[in-house]
Amino acid sequence: MIEKKTVKYIANLARIEINEEEKEFLQSQLSKILDYIDKLKELDIEKVAPTRGTFLQGNILRQDKSKKSEVFEDILKNTPEILNNHFKIPKVI
Amino acid sequence: MPEELETIIGLEVHVQLATKSKAFCSCPTNFESLPNTNICPICCGYPGVLPVFNRKALELGLRVCLALGCKINGRIYFERKNYFYPDLPKNYQISQYKVPLGEGGCITLSTGRKIGIERAHLEEDAGKLIHKEDCSLVDFNRTGIPLLEIVSKPDINSADEAFRYLKLLKLTLQYLGVSSCDMEKGYLRCDANISLKEKRAKELGTKVELKNMNSFHGVKDALESESRRQRISLEKGERILQETRLWDETKKQTFIMRTKEEAHDYRYFPEPDLVDFVIEEPMIEEQRSFISELPAVKEARFKKEYMLRENGLTEKEIDILISHKWLADFFELSVKELGDSKNIANWILGPFLELTNSLDKGFEQVKITPANFSKIVKYFLEGRLNNLGAKKVLVNVLTNNEDIDKVIEKEKLTQVSKEEGLMPFVEQTISENPKPVSDYLGGKQSAIMFLVGCVMRKSRGKANPKVVKEMLEKRIKVKGGKI
Amino acid sequence: MMKEAFKLKAADLAKEIKEGSLKGEDLFLDFKERAKQIDSSLHSFVEIYDEPQSTKGDSSLKGIPIAIKDNICIRGKRITCGSKILDSHISVYDATVVKRLKEAGLLILGTTNMDEFAFGSSTENSCYGPTRNPWNLERVPGGSSGGSTAAVAARLIPFALGSDTGGSIRQPASFCGVVGFKPTYGRVSRFGLVAFGSSLDQIGPITTNFVDCAHLLNIICGFDKLDSTSAKLEVCDFTKALVDQIKDIKIGLPLEYFKEGLDEEVKDAVEKAAKLLEKKGAKILDISLPHTEYAVATYYIIACSEASSNLQRYDGVKYGLRAKADNLIDSYKKTRRDGFGEEAKRRIFLGTHSLSSGYYDAYYLRALKVRTLIKNDFQEAFEKVDVILTPSSPTSAFKIGEKADDPLSMYLSDIYTISVNLAGLPAVSFPCGFTKDNLPIGVQLIGRPFDEETLIRAGFTYQNLTDYCKQLPKIAYA
Repeated sequence: MIEKKTVKYIANLARIEINEEEKEFLQSQLSKILDYIDKLKELDIEKVAPTRGTFLQGNILRQDKSKKSEVFEDILKNTPEILNNHFKIPKVI
Repeated sequence: MPEELETIIGLEVHVQLATKSKAFCSCPTNFESLPNTNICPICCGYPGVLPVFNRKALELGLRVCLALGCKINGRIYFERKNYFYPDLPKNYQISQYKVPLGEGGCITLSTGRKIGIERAHLEEDAGKLIHKEDCSLVDFNRTGIPLLEIVSKPDINSADEAFRYLKLLKLTLQYLGVSSCDMEKGYLRCDANISLKEKRAKELGTKVELKNMNSFHGVKDALESESRRQRISLEKGERILQETRLWDETKKQTFIMRTKEEAHDYRYFPEPDLVDFVIEEPMIEEQRSFISELPAVKEARFKKEYMLRENGLTEKEIDILISHKWLADFFELSVKELGDSKNIANWILGPFLELTNSLDKGFEQVKITPANFSKIVKYFLEGRLNNLGAKKVLVNVLTNNEDIDKVIEKEKLTQVSKEEGLMPFVEQTISENPKPVSDYLGGKQSAIMFLVGCVMRKSRGKANPKVVKEMLEKRIKVKGGKI
Repeated sequence: MMKEAFKLKAADLAKEIKEGSLKGEDLFLDFKERAKQIDSSLHSFVEIYDEPQSTKGDSSLKGIPIAIKDNICIRGKRITCGSKILDSHISVYDATVVKRLKEAGLLILGTTNMDEFAFGSSTENSCYGPTRNPWNLERVPGGSSGGSTAAVAARLIPFALGSDTGGSIRQPASFCGVVGFKPTYGRVSRFGLVAFGSSLDQIGPITTNFVDCAHLLNIICGFDKLDSTSAKLEVCDFTKALVDQIKDIKIGLPLEYFKEGLDEEVKDAVEKAAKLLEKKGAKILDISLPHTEYAVATYYIIACSEASSNLQRYDGVKYGLRAKADNLIDSYKKTRRDGFGEEAKRRIFLGTHSLSSGYYDAYYLRALKVRTLIKNDFQEAFEKVDVILTPSSPTSAFKIGEKADDPLSMYLSDIYTISVNLAGLPAVSFPCGFTKDNLPIGVQLIGRPFDEETLIRAGFTYQNLTDYCKQLPKIAYA
């Protein structure tokens, strides 16, 4: 069972606003899913190495060559608001 | 009353690695570009993009780790550090967490104190934010430039020592050619952790993180101020709270930014978009080959070779000579040519630095070879050029390395030492200046220097002042005061 | 339209184009008209383009129209991922697969509907509304590539691309009666595929038959310097695997995939498929994949953890939706509240929680370790057999809305496809029968890493023995 304050904590970490009703809804659904996931605790995994990726080839590296993007102007234009060639955003507090 | 308190400091230095392109995309890294022109879908966190790591960033990071004596982890991988901030387009930073590129290592200060290096890891830089009255502005040009974070052990015991550590670390990085380390441009940044503890206590006190210092002096001032603040609190019997504080340069004070409770939960996990990197022996050997004598070693050797002897250099002179690898090398190569370290040092620290400081690109523009430079000093010492003449030659050849003898010929800079050439000027001077002449005869030795100056002017600086002085003395005495 | 061209294989249409009896541009217009006419009842497309972007390029599939799942970037075109948060964002670049399709002379007809950010198994979680199953409009097409599989099943397009993170190509392929192929992780570049679970995602072809599948794989597979995780391996000509011979192939049937929870009709059809292959010369062996029951839990931890991080970039700063607010944090929170649907939020919450301080070891790290066990299961199995045969899904297509309120039962509908992604293996789902309600049933073949050929060979052989691939839903004739 996941606590309500944990749901609130996650909402803040994930930067998603939720109201009281959604909080309760998520609490009950996440609890059910996490109960199911607790199944993994049956396994003894102490000596097992984690798998970070299934296909581990090493050393894919780029040469240090610079190239200006063709679309840098389009990228700036895609932002909701522009000011003096900058991405304009609500005040950071 | 607590017993004597000791300051414990650890420093986190972020240095931008001097690559042409960013860490995970091909965008240029030049600093002067207009805002948001060095950006692409990858460094702006567009949907669907993937990072590919820059080989040069790995190599430069490796070079630093080797130079600091770190243990190199043979297989490294990146992780994601997750937090929302508008200067971070993906809202996670690709960094290293569990397995950094290098661990351990140390830096030895000239005081003999060893400061341990905890770890050095690779990561990407964030963008720049400008805060306005009613909004904020973001520039992503800097986003994704490769950084090496060098974390010291909490081995530093004073603000002063922190300052020394930073200076030496910066110089070491410059020697390695991995970064220009310009703090004003943000190529090098420093955060600090500071705590106080009773001298005999084994456990460290509660640490406070300090941010927002924009210069090494800023770091020093902030650490002094924070150390004082903590000392006063502890002496009052108060507890220090684990928090992050910002240094205010104008108020010379630290201010609370966030408490432990508000600390980030970064949710690190292995970056699935990148593969592992195996640091192989050839790469290590290659990078090792780029590491020449490091500043701390050079300093000790210079002191041994050039200071501790008759007519040796001063500590300050050595400090300046080793402050730039290029300069130290130039000095030594010139000494090798001439075999006279004191005079080479005088000419480098005097006229040479004066001239190079006024060049736009400093030493980069200098073309003169140590052989030619030492030749100018040699001509001066032999009397073939006087001070002014030698400086003129230096100006002429500094950025083009033209043949010195030709320049002297062209500019007619050969010093006149032959008495017959100078005699007319000597005679003229004596007859034009009866007062100084009689002063000299009356025992005022300094009057002779005035007369030497007159002759020098008449010869347009070409006369050898030593010869002139002898001639004047002889003539005045011969004349016995009869003018 | 050329008389019933929609019934033909893409490879055959391409031959006619090569020979000059058909023009690619005309074919594009014909399929466009067909899609516009029929899709109003299916809603498999998000956007149908008026004109192909590029008609240059050449390959064995030159001139054939194709549809792209709407989580793959096409320069100058809208990309939605079925989410409000992208707010009609226009891509500024081509995904590597799109670039390759264009270079091969394929004509992109449009983008197909999907569960938001590929979060789902029914294509009900799209902000543009659900897609319907062409075999029965009351049923889901499966998901998350349900738009692509429905469009191909109804022959609104000869073939399409989908993406598969836990079964998102194979499960809807089985629900819609088409061939859905998930290549080995690393086989196809992910550059330009909007990330869900980066260590699991793969792009793959959705076709009506194995011939087209092989041709399309030839175009999209191979190393890409823009994707560090794409394999630096030689790619063979997959059409060479279109051989009607399986005598040397050993097929394993994993015990754990035929237990309770599996629909009887599905079970019968899948077992019948195995018998048919046996008759053709393949050896059938019983095998065990003992950690199968932990796959769904493991998958949801890993996929959601990665997704929670991948989706942090949708914050209203650079592109897409931005909610009005006085300060940035409120703008973030409201943008993400308004922009993400219910399932997306659920997964972001689950993933954020799994990675958060104090829970990492219990959830994320544990899942990575169980992933090793699951991977090892397959490794051991492949010492005995060449391919593994399983049902693609426990059931045939379920009703729209049936599982909407029960996320866990929805997650469990991917139980047979999920392990494959955890182990990074190639797998394909293809039709092997119909239920008594005339809904398609799919069978899955799983192969060794980078052994797509054996899957193609076995699938092609099976396809020649049956006519399930040739059956079309009624709506295709509308």
